[in-house]
Amino acid sequence: MAVLLSRLPHSDCLNLCHRVVDGLCGREPPRWADYSSTWSLQEWLELLSSLTTLFRLAVQSSNSDEEVLALLSDVGSSHAKAVLSVLRSRQEEICHALLDRTNSISSATLQDFEWQLKLALSSDKISSLHSPLLSLSLDVRDNGALQPVTMELSREELSKLINALEAANKVVLQLK
Amino acid sequence: MEEVDKILIHALKQVGTDLSEETDSVKQFSSELIVEAVVRCIRVIDPALGNALPTLLPHGMSARFRVGMSLAQACQDIGYKGEIGYQTFLYSSEPEIRSLLMFLVEKLPRERFEASDQPSGKSAVLQRAIAAAIKAQLAVPWLPPNCRLPKYCETQSLLASHSFHVQPLSLPHCTKDPDKKHLKEVKDYQRNVLSPVTAQLSSRTSVVSSILEQHTAELSAAQEWDSEWNSQGLLSRLTPQEYRSRKLTRLRKRIEEQLRSAALPSAESACGVPASASDLSELLHAFRGSAPSDHVLTKSTHFTHTQKFTFTQEAAAVTHSIPTGHQLEGDVQLRQQEELAALQEQFQQLCTDVEHLSADMKLMSVTNAQVLDELKQRELANVQNEEKMQVKKKTIDLLPDADGNLLQLQALVEASTKRVVNLASQWEKHRAPLIDEHRRLKEICSSQDMESSRKLSEIKSLHDKIRVSTEEAKKKEETYKQLLTELENLNQDVSRSAYTQRILEIVSNIKKQKEEITKILSDTKELQKEINNLTGKLDRTFAVTDELVFKDAKKDESVRKSYKYLAALHENCNHLIQTIEDTGTILREIRDLEEQIEAENGNKTVANLERILDDYKAIRQENSALAAKVREG
Repeated sequence: MAVLLSRLPHSDCLNLCHRVVDGLCGREPPRWADYSSTWSLQEWLELLSSLTTLFRLAVQSSNSDEEVLALLSDVGSSHAKAVLSVLRSRQEEICHALLDRTNSISSATLQDFEWQLKLALSSDKISSLHSPLLSLSLDVRDNGALQPVTMELSREELSKLINALEAANKVVLQLK
Repeated sequence: MEEVDKILIHALKQVGTDLSEETDSVKQFSSELIVEAVVRCIRVIDPALGNALPTLLPHGMSARFRVGMSLAQACQDIGYKGEIGYQTFLYSSEPEIRSLLMFLVEKLPRERFEASDQPSGKSAVLQRAIAAAIKAQLAVPWLPPNCRLPKYCETQSLLASHSFHVQPLSLPHCTKDPDKKHLKEVKDYQRNVLSPVTAQLSSRTSVVSSILEQHTAELSAAQEWDSEWNSQGLLSRLTPQEYRSRKLTRLRKRIEEQLRSAALPSAESACGVPASASDLSELLHAFRGSAPSDHVLTKSTHFTHTQKFTFTQEAAAVTHSIPTGHQLEGDVQLRQQEELAALQEQFQQLCTDVEHLSADMKLMSVTNAQVLDELKQRELANVQNEEKMQVKKKTIDLLPDADGNLLQLQALVEASTKRVVNLASQWEKHRAPLIDEHRRLKEICSSQDMESSRKLSEIKSLHDKIRVSTEEAKKKEETYKQLLTELENLNQDVSRSAYTQRILEIVSNIKKQKEEITKILSDTKELQKEINNLTGKLDRTFAVTDELVFKDAKKDESVRKSYKYLAALHENCNHLIQTIEDTGTILREIRDLEEQIEAENGNKTVANLERILDDYKAIRQENSALAAKVREG
């Protein structure tokens, strides 16, 4: 990694590290296209994975400055310091992201959800219906793959679902 | 009359009659308009009755006649007492129409107006607003995308329905740790690198949803903490930090227990037999093999070892897996693969070794602990035995001079009992005040306890009060807003207040007029009295004069003449008065007649007669045409 990171000037190194942390926290990671003149694709992937691992490990085991610098011993000192400063400034965010990962430790977790309320005015059998319908779409992350689950609920079904979720929430509260 | 007409026209417009802006009096109403207005009113008053009636006058004369008859019948059914027939509608006269319309407008159900006046609920206002918005959107014609004005793009294009996706944001105020807030690196990052929220996300559409999500998350967390602190935290009598740390340790312990209980069975089935049990234990198994390194683990003795092991290995791999230079690629790859295979084998070997060794170690540690325990027990027993032995040794030493020693022992015992008694009395002396002190302190303590619990309950009630009053304030603000909007809506209906003003004015005018009328009446009465007085006086004077002159007339010729003149004068005067009275009555009659003429003129009799004649002719024509048709048929 030493050789790889040293090819970049100091300020760019800071930016790159910040964007790597962005990627770690769930936002857009840096793209190879921006750095294709500096590194080959393989080098880029290696650098990216090693930087990510470094940040994770450092935050995980809450390393002191010296330990981090020791890990970065083969990089130039100014670059190592840049990486260290990025690490210190983003420590809390990284910690948050890692905690989120730990929270979603079980097999399927809810990533995101969206709902739309629709008013059905009529159906093929009944000319005037006027019943509200909720279309609920859940993005479930199952073993790493994002899986959309979409359903349409009437008022009774929705209240049943909400009751079930509230019961689950009560269990969680009791655990606290 | 103008006021009345204005009110009538306003009411008719509200009912739904299509009146143009120029019509401002009943005089301008055409037959068609009158029919429409009357039918609309009847529809509102009695829908069953009104729905059978057409709002438009038909062309055929006989049909018109029938419509007029049915309308008149309907009006009588509703309860109109005045004279009414088909002629009222077809050959209208202003006063008749006015009185009919006034009757109908008075009959209009009042609740409709009252309902709109009442402060309706928040949901009703919202629903009305939604209905209005949807109606407006539906009224807009559909246009192809290229022709759309920008303001319609929002409702008509499909692009408006973005899905609600959330991405994490980095906000400076999220840093909760107060110590870290002032770190130089953090400040530098926030100042130089951190982009504004709108630029942090890859797609613009998720900006709003992300910000909303973040805010709700923070808000709900704050609320949850608040409620928990109010319900449990305050009662625990700790500072927030202490409470938090205590909760954290409690949670840690719980999770640790859970993990340990899940991990134990899998640890016993040592060599990675897939556990049939729970999700969690499966997951924990995954950690033992070539575990994914990116999870924060909670502390549990078993794991920290494996975790450290795997992590350090990977870290080492990371730092070493850097290509040092360029070599022949094929060769390098082959060698690397071989190396990799060898290393993996070695790694597997090491893993199994480690597992074996850890199992052995566990066994050993258990036996070790047992042995240590035993050793301790033995040592304890040893010490006891030694003590016993020493006591026995001393007694054996004392045996030879038994009596003397016995005496000595007795003296010693006595002295020590005395000392014990002494000490006991001393202890009593000291004890009494100490116990008192203790009691006093206890009392203080309990009183303080009571005080603190009282204060706690006070705080709680204060919290409740605060919540209640904030809610109330919110509610009141909402009603205030609602009333404001309603007031704005009401402002269009200015006529109401104007009407009341007018009515009040009219009432005061009427009062004034009434006063004047009473004044005039009293004047008239006085005049009448004076007239009566004067006539009485005149009559009496005349009678006296008549008598005097008549007495003298017998004697004197000239006086007789004057008597004749007097009689003639009296008669003439009587005639004169009579004539004046007659003139008055005639004048009154003339005025009556003039009024009648005006009323007749208002009835448009001549024009109506002409129209009636025309319509008569039309009916006859229709009849003859029908007869011809019948004959042909």
